[in-house]
Amino acid sequence: MSFGFQLVHARPSRASTLLLSWLLFSLGIGLYFYASQKRHRENPEDRVMPTVSQMFHGMSDASVKPAEDDDAVLPENASLRQKFFASMLWKDTLATSRRFIFSVALLIPAVLLGLHMGLFPYVGVVFLRFVLFFDKIVALSLLPILFIAFGIDELSKIMLIVIGVTPTIILDTFNLTKGVPSEQVVKAFTLGANDFDVAYRVVMRQIAPRVLNSIRLNLKAVMLFLFAGEMIASTDGLAYRIALLRRHMGMDVIIPYVLWVALLLFLVDFAMRLVNRKLHPWFQEA
Amino acid sequence: MPLIETSNLSVAYGTPARPVLTNIDLNIEEGEFVCLLGQTGCGKSTLLKLILGAEMPSSGRIRIDGVERKQPDRTRGYVPQKYSLFPDKTVLGNITFGPEVSEFNLFTRLTPRYFRRRRQFREDALGYIRRIGLHERDAHKYPHQLSGGMQQRVAIAQALATKPRILLMDEAFSALDPGTRKDMQRLIRQLWRDTGITLLFVTHNTQEALSLGSRVIVLAKETPDSGAHIAMDIPVPEPCHEHQIPTLVHHLEHASGSARAPEVAVLATA
Repeated sequence: MSFGFQLVHARPSRASTLLLSWLLFSLGIGLYFYASQKRHRENPEDRVMPTVSQMFHGMSDASVKPAEDDDAVLPENASLRQKFFASMLWKDTLATSRRFIFSVALLIPAVLLGLHMGLFPYVGVVFLRFVLFFDKIVALSLLPILFIAFGIDELSKIMLIVIGVTPTIILDTFNLTKGVPSEQVVKAFTLGANDFDVAYRVVMRQIAPRVLNSIRLNLKAVMLFLFAGEMIASTDGLAYRIALLRRHMGMDVIIPYVLWVALLLFLVDFAMRLVNRKLHPWFQEA
Repeated sequence: MPLIETSNLSVAYGTPARPVLTNIDLNIEEGEFVCLLGQTGCGKSTLLKLILGAEMPSSGRIRIDGVERKQPDRTRGYVPQKYSLFPDKTVLGNITFGPEVSEFNLFTRLTPRYFRRRRQFREDALGYIRRIGLHERDAHKYPHQLSGGMQQRVAIAQALATKPRILLMDEAFSALDPGTRKDMQRLIRQLWRDTGITLLFVTHNTQEALSLGSRVIVLAKETPDSGAHIAMDIPVPEPCHEHQIPTLVHHLEHASGSARAPEVAVLATA
């Protein structure tokens, strides 16, 4: 049966690719503004769907004024720069970024553990079952335990991310290590390499680009656990602000904040992709 | 004393045990070019992996220069059919890898002596690159940028760079097109003559075995359920004339296809 046009064999032109790929964005934005205008005509005090100018106002306030619960006092004649570094947006972003960087740094030991589990049978025997079990625990269900055990400060939030994401990274690295052809390992030994040369100079280097890609995929999970922690128990951070503003129905700041988080995450992912390509020019993305 | 000596070597896989090799007694002297011939699944690659130390026998022993060795090491070089090069290293990096890890570990690599030695390693590697018929401008290419034949050339250079006494090649040319294959056979023959290295070459191609080796060993199974044994072990007359090959091929294929070979004596005088 033929539809008169090709499906699998279709070749969209450059122009139609460009047009069609932005279609849903423009549709979404258009619909939002239409609905927002309509609501504001009926009720000028509407807080659910703020207009562009309201969101712009909200954000420009957020990026030059300290938060209401922040008692930082700025001199009368403070420069724009000083104002920005004391602002709500900057301080929230900083707090969240700090936790995010800590959490991602803690994934490095996870990668090393996965590598050793895959390569050294005894390490694998000791850890594999345990990690598989740990992987099945729903990390968020541990949140109360963590708050009780580690208090409600930074440690418990970072532990949440570690518990939530590291098993995935460990198991992924383990599988990638197992996937390295045995010829490569044997070859390295015949060339005089010792066990650690094989681990770090042959296997690690080969799986590095795939491990980085796996971390990129898991950034979303890192952010998810980070936001859960911040929303429930925190006094700063982007998710804390979003949760706080919900009480005032502060949609004019919440929506830009959500987009800001998405933009930041996109930039981190993009930077990691560039770094990956720069570091591993030999890697052929499958 | 033979350089490679296997006594009463048997291997079986799985439960219930399915024999792959039974009672292999094999002595290989220094400087021989042994071709291991047999049909697919007859265990010739397994025998090579046992000598390599990558697999362990169920019973029997293997001595390399009189010593039992439990894992692959510098004494035996290895060129497999696939995945023979490190994809993350350039041609130069692949060839210098052996000498580097043989002399330096992860910590001594940080010393200034390492950087001085590395220059020497690179020069040696360029020598090998020329010897195997590659251009110096290929030195900084990655394996995926090379053709299959070129990759195997580099793999041979990489194995030779640590100067092993034994080189084990597992169907190393089987994935190459006939023309490239001929070139590679010429190259490996030349390298064998020049270096006096002991070669063990696994192949399923009778013609290749005869045109390469100084000795051909045929592995065969008596029944489908029994393990393979050495069905034939013949020295190849040197030089092996092209016109003799068809008859030899016929005899050998007969041997590897069916049971024992009573015509060993006939062939030896052929």
